[in-house]
Amino acid sequence: MKKLEIEFTINGKKRKFFVKPNDLLINIIRNDLFLTGSKYGCGIGECGACTVLLNGEPVLSCLTLAVTVDGKEITTIEGLARGDELHPMQKAFLENGAVQCGFCTPSMILTATALLKENPNPTEDEIRDYMRGNICRCTGYIQIVKAIESCVTGGKTS
Amino acid sequence: MSQFKYVSPKTKDEALEILQEKKSNACIIAGCSNVLPNIRDKKIVSKVLVDISDIEELKGIVGEKDKIYIGPLTTITELVNSEVILKEGNVLHQAAEQFADPIVRNSATVGGNLVDASPAADMAVPLLTLDAILKIESVGQKKDVQLRDFFIGPGETILQEDEIITGIEFESSNINKNGCFIKLGLRKAMAIAVASIAVNLEIKENKIAQVRIVMGSVAPTPIRLTATEEFLKDKEVNDELIEKAIDKVREEVNPISDIRASEEYRRYVSGILFKRAFKKLTLAN
Repeated sequence: MKKLEIEFTINGKKRKFFVKPNDLLINIIRNDLFLTGSKYGCGIGECGACTVLLNGEPVLSCLTLAVTVDGKEITTIEGLARGDELHPMQKAFLENGAVQCGFCTPSMILTATALLKENPNPTEDEIRDYMRGNICRCTGYIQIVKAIESCVTGGKTS
Repeated sequence: MSQFKYVSPKTKDEALEILQEKKSNACIIAGCSNVLPNIRDKKIVSKVLVDISDIEELKGIVGEKDKIYIGPLTTITELVNSEVILKEGNVLHQAAEQFADPIVRNSATVGGNLVDASPAADMAVPLLTLDAILKIESVGQKKDVQLRDFFIGPGETILQEDEIITGIEFESSNINKNGCFIKLGLRKAMAIAVASIAVNLEIKENKIAQVRIVMGSVAPTPIRLTATEEFLKDKEVNDELIEKAIDKVREEVNPISDIRASEEYRRYVSGILFKRAFKKLTLAN
């Protein structure tokens, strides 16, 4: 297949790639950019583990063709911290015991930051509703919801 | 090995010309939330992927005095955030809020959901109760098609290989402003409907002036329950009427047994969903 050239910004850095028309964004991120924070979970858009921010909005990178991100900005979990300084949502997840195996954690954190940007003061129901596309097999979600709530009640909206 | 090509037309006319040239070799993509799983399952192989997501003419929600226009590239998130849809087509807004999850909604498009033509299609059911019209174009041709004539079978529509949906329209009217959508799934989130219902209703002096009832997942396509609608028309709203209408609903649906539910359960629960939706609307009135 003929490869197409794309250029996009990832975590603040401009990168150029040659991709096949049917290459998935998740594979470019993990296999070519070695940013393995985003996870390949189900591959069909059901689990949310592959969530990244595309121009600030959460999307599923397993359902995004790499060729369609030409000219766009991507943020992965690796792009949240500022050097050694963790993002408030990352700190909240650690402080509230919301990380067990860690597989869903990158996507949970990214989706949660998008939630608080859209709705800085969500109720518990609104948090659970917004996060419903991100599945966790370990925690039972209680600590995850508490971590997100702590970013609201502390006034620390992201 | 599967061979794909990718093109990204910037205008509607450009896209239509590509479709006319490539015909069944072309596969239109936008949000990709249905297309990519189909590519993975090898249901779509070796196509020219025609990415229409940059075409501005196919975007936007416009509320005019007498009608509302929705561009086919409108994402489900845009529907949820639209004041126009909230006011003029509330039943569609309710369906958008229950659609998949917020992440998928950022990519998934109304046009894509209609063309995918699942019998459970969450956008088709409310758009049918809004009595929507589709604007369909090919090179040199434009036509209007009633949405109720669009679906012909599971995953099948009347859309030809050189055609694109360029708009979805419904009227601004009292009945369209008054609707209820309920989706029953095996779990609260990310569920394909076991059965879904949309009811739009206009009541005058406690009598049913107009009613539209559409159900999803209980027939090969989303269907309007026209016999039940006929039965209800001009009748006074009371509990006895609702009980009789429930029987009509159960007679009219045509479900199958599949991995999610049995035929018997679907038929039974269709009546329950009708009752819930109807009661919600009549109590509000």
